[in-house]
Amino acid sequence: MITDSSGYLYHAWLASASLPPVQAKQLLDEYRTPENVFHGFRTGHKPEGITPAGIRALEISSSDQNLAKLDSLLMQYHIRAFTALDPEYPDALLQMQEPPAVLFYQGNLQCMKRRLLAMVGSRAASYDGQKAAGRIARELSRKGIGIVSGMAGGIDSASHSGCIEGRSPTIAVTGCGLDIVYPAGNEKLRDSILKNNGLLLSEYAPGEKPIGWHFPFRNRIITGLAHALIVVEAKIRSGTMTSVQHALNQGKDVFVYPGDPASPYSEGNHQLLREGAIYFTTGEDILEDLGWLDNPEIIGQNSVCSGRMPPLSPEETVIFEILKPGRMSFEQIADRSGLSPAILMSTLTMLQIKGTVEALPGKQFQLKV
Amino acid sequence: MDEIMARTLSFGVSGVNGYPVHVEVFGISGIPGMEIIGLPDASVRESRDRVNAAIINSGKQMQPRRITINLAPADMKKEGPSFDLPIAVGVLIATGEILPDPELNIDTIALFGELSLDGLVQPIAGALPMVISAKENGIRDVILPEKNAKEVACIEGMNIMPVSHLRQVIGYFEGRKAIQKQQQISYESLKNEISAGATDMALIKGQKGARRALEVAAAGGHNMIMIGVPGSGKTMLARCLPGILPPMSFEEALETTRIHSISGKLPPNSGLMVVRPFCAPHHNASVASLIGGGQEAKPGEVSLAHNGVLFLDELPEFSRSAMEALRQPLEDGIVSVSRVRKQALYQSSFMLVAAMNPCPCGYYGSTRRVCRCTPQETRRYLDRISGPLLDRIDLQIEVDSVPVQEINATAPAESSAIVAARVNAARLIQLERYRGTGKHCNAQLNNAEVKRYCTPDAEAVRLLDAAVETMHLSMRAYQRILKVARTIADLEHSQMISSVHIAEAIQYRELDQKYWR
Repeated sequence: MITDSSGYLYHAWLASASLPPVQAKQLLDEYRTPENVFHGFRTGHKPEGITPAGIRALEISSSDQNLAKLDSLLMQYHIRAFTALDPEYPDALLQMQEPPAVLFYQGNLQCMKRRLLAMVGSRAASYDGQKAAGRIARELSRKGIGIVSGMAGGIDSASHSGCIEGRSPTIAVTGCGLDIVYPAGNEKLRDSILKNNGLLLSEYAPGEKPIGWHFPFRNRIITGLAHALIVVEAKIRSGTMTSVQHALNQGKDVFVYPGDPASPYSEGNHQLLREGAIYFTTGEDILEDLGWLDNPEIIGQNSVCSGRMPPLSPEETVIFEILKPGRMSFEQIADRSGLSPAILMSTLTMLQIKGTVEALPGKQFQLKV
Repeated sequence: MDEIMARTLSFGVSGVNGYPVHVEVFGISGIPGMEIIGLPDASVRESRDRVNAAIINSGKQMQPRRITINLAPADMKKEGPSFDLPIAVGVLIATGEILPDPELNIDTIALFGELSLDGLVQPIAGALPMVISAKENGIRDVILPEKNAKEVACIEGMNIMPVSHLRQVIGYFEGRKAIQKQQQISYESLKNEISAGATDMALIKGQKGARRALEVAAAGGHNMIMIGVPGSGKTMLARCLPGILPPMSFEEALETTRIHSISGKLPPNSGLMVVRPFCAPHHNASVASLIGGGQEAKPGEVSLAHNGVLFLDELPEFSRSAMEALRQPLEDGIVSVSRVRKQALYQSSFMLVAAMNPCPCGYYGSTRRVCRCTPQETRRYLDRISGPLLDRIDLQIEVDSVPVQEINATAPAESSAIVAARVNAARLIQLERYRGTGKHCNAQLNNAEVKRYCTPDAEAVRLLDAAVETMHLSMRAYQRILKVARTIADLEHSQMISSVHIAEAIQYRELDQKYWR
């Protein structure tokens, strides 16, 4: 006997067969709901346009065992779903190639109605890149803009966190079932996304593993949901580049943060900029280009960049001046300032506490922006 | 006169302590042979063949008798070849080959040494604890291998007679020829003789930050961890430490030399150890080799590093169990090694210096090369270090990789001698402050004592509170900062801990801020 305690069992059934989105959409168009598709399929009606491989996949996912597993996962993780025919399905996705037939979600669907921007970048990101991502996301979020990203490590995580800090909800599109947290260890971020009115989306049925090809494929949903794409840090061969490809296919603007030209972490950024991507350094640049500067819904106030500097002692001023051109290692500062290591260390601590200087890995220091 | 009995005196070693062993030799006519009893191990049992050959090669006869040798007390395991010499002398007397000088009191002359087949007397392990034990037992006269003489030359009131051949010993017991006595060497003169061995700090170019941290660590006896990209000079920095630590006191030197002596780690002809030991076990070291163990419960690296420096390079590569095992010696300064056949207590009060890369590939945070590690890999790498071990490390610093051009440009840096003088002065202040408490440096303070001795002024307290707030420091870090600030103030001969000292100390919690958050 089949039990459907959540009401989304047939959504999960259809998704777990992993049909190409176009074929799944075709089935929905013919039968209107996943439940009808299931019963039609069970009664032996062979739908048209489905390949033999697709039929086999549907048969396998129809096993009692699979259905029972899907039912319990849906209940345990409070996963809900909608199809491309439902009213909650965002129009933006319908306009792209291969829109997902079924989407699973946890959290607040309302945040898809906001102005959304996608932010992407490498998982193995530089310290600077993550800082920049957090800063940009926070700034945009304060202006009421929701950030869409992929909940991976590095830039993705920094973007989500920045958005949460700026008090706008953030949307994460994952490459596996919503019952699985990937990468492992990201539970904290997932919980904080949900707690702050955010949304988790996935086209994969519960229990679906994070397989390599899922990620570039789901990138089309990230860019599809957003008005424009922001690239924070990209190597030349990287998943980020597939996001750029999707954005261009979907006719979206691509904003690229410059990054340090000498750093291999942002090689891709500079290639994209040469190819004509839009250059920006602050969230305001983006808003200006998109014509969103007039946005009335500004949330929170700009507290950090007040422009007022705390008073500095003579030694602190020396170091402040030395650091103006950019980051420097302890040894370089020691050489240039002529201060004894003991005095230099204590002065650096003072500057850190005043919020003027920050310490970076590799015994480096820089002025805080 | 068919049966003759002879008794000579020797010493054995158990743990780091010597104990008297009476070598009793009983000769009787019968089928010729030699039997050694009194729980001898293989090397003691083989003694009979060495003794046999050595006697013949010294111009004496091996009488065809049935000889029984008992090593009393008979219930302790005897090991090592050091009983060769007393056995040989005992056999010669018991078989009538030597007619001892009646003026000699044979029972009160301690003998030890290994014999080679041609009669040469070879050095042995454990000479120092044996001679100390002899002194404690009221024995003055000691005959020992020439190459062990320097090792024990600092002990006062002894009549040390170094020998190189069995013939000299025979001559001495027959009253024909005296053995030249070893001159007593004062510890002070030994200290002046050599102070090399450690890397001189003058050889380190740049690295001003790390040099300063090293000085603070030495001044307060603080454990320290260095993190930095490969080739940034972590090992070289660590090797400087023995050279800037205050010289060992005579007692410390005795303690340390004792442990090295019983482990057989003292090179022949070396005197009492003056330079603090520097032990750098490889990261595949087993728990037993670090802590001590084996059938005979031998001391491990932590004890060999007693009063010196234990340097663990590539700390995350050490096994979890090895890191956990370091906790007891770090806490108590002593380890107990228990085995089925033997158990021993070894002192192990050392300064721990650890070094590691910031991530598995080594280049996290480098401006010159890209780090290839994923954040998860880096996290896992850092998490390999046991929390309780990290808890016992006061100073955490990052080591800057100094660019080549800077290495060429800078003028010669301060030498170890100059730094050592400052360190020594700071240590004297601490000795004075902790007189009568059993502590001798800031690193040894517990939380209650930190409260008592490490009181910063009001401004410094405000600063520290602000730092805890803005830099996300833990309560644990708070205590460590106070201790290190105390040392920094001592280096400046300052009674009060002011905000400058606290601010500097905060920089030595770099890794709390950046890596272990």
